[in-house]
Amino acid sequence: MAAQLTSDGRVLYLYGITESRFGDIPELIGVDRFAPIEAVDCEGVFCWISRVSALDFEKNLASNMENLDWLAETSVAHQRVISAISRLTDILPTRFGTVFRTEQSLCKHVAKRVRGLKKDFERIKGADEWGVKVFTVQPAALPMPSARTGKDYLKAKAALLPSRKPKSIQREDIIKFEQALAGVATETAPAGNVSRGQRGLSFQTSLLVKRTKRKKLESVLEKFAREWTRERRIECTGPWPPYSFVSRPDDKVTSK
Amino acid sequence: MSATTNAVVFTGDDPSDGMTLLDILDHVLNQGVVLRGNVIISLAGVDLVYLGLDVILTSVETALRHVNATALSPGK
Repeated sequence: MAAQLTSDGRVLYLYGITESRFGDIPELIGVDRFAPIEAVDCEGVFCWISRVSALDFEKNLASNMENLDWLAETSVAHQRVISAISRLTDILPTRFGTVFRTEQSLCKHVAKRVRGLKKDFERIKGADEWGVKVFTVQPAALPMPSARTGKDYLKAKAALLPSRKPKSIQREDIIKFEQALAGVATETAPAGNVSRGQRGLSFQTSLLVKRTKRKKLESVLEKFAREWTRERRIECTGPWPPYSFVSRPDDKVTSK
Repeated sequence: MSATTNAVVFTGDDPSDGMTLLDILDHVLNQGVVLRGNVIISLAGVDLVYLGLDVILTSVETALRHVNATALSPGK
């Protein structure tokens, strides 16, 4: 698969798609930390792009992504652009690493998905994504028991052990928690799999929540946090652009 | 929003709000609009270039697990 770079050595890196184009385009810098953000009108929607090096973002993208330092910097830049636009209007964020060689090819591919994208705009209207994680709290280290002999020490230590065991997450607790969250969210989706291996992580989900229900979400989380205060810690991140609630070309959309 | 209230840790969507790289990667690599399948297409006449992100995700996960395991190993 021999890649031929574009004649000007640049490709179009796509951040996301909006229905409206606001007055002044925000002064944002793209993933290469150099090129400004532009809006390209395609099929009645606006595609937010920056023109980046074809060498870095097309030919060597795969190898660059295996460099965690490059990936960290560039993914943060990608998120910052989308996040800034999402503060101005609803945006369908694009997955990291989507590039096109020309505006014509970008518009051609958007045209194929435009009906689905329009449905997605309805789906995410006035809503943000929130990430919720529950961690099991590790018990604090206990003081060393004092004992004269090794046998006494082991006995004293053994006596302490049952109290150190963290209470395991009860499935019923999680079901109640999920139900309470579902009562606030328009939709829920499985969380990403990169952070799945975090230590102590017991449960995670992504929620699509109308902005008018943000306080309600906070109060549900705080209620469970109070109940679980010594056993579990709840972490909530957001508001995110709705990464997890954009349909795939062959998805069947299910919502409340 | 970046605050702790009654044991809920709330974090904004920007790294300066305390967002972790894991959360960002979870979102930007895993989700979002996909205009075409997970393949690298860079043949003449086909303009879209997109990556097989499953491979990349696996390598990121492996690297992060390795980092965590190293950090947790006794004596490190």
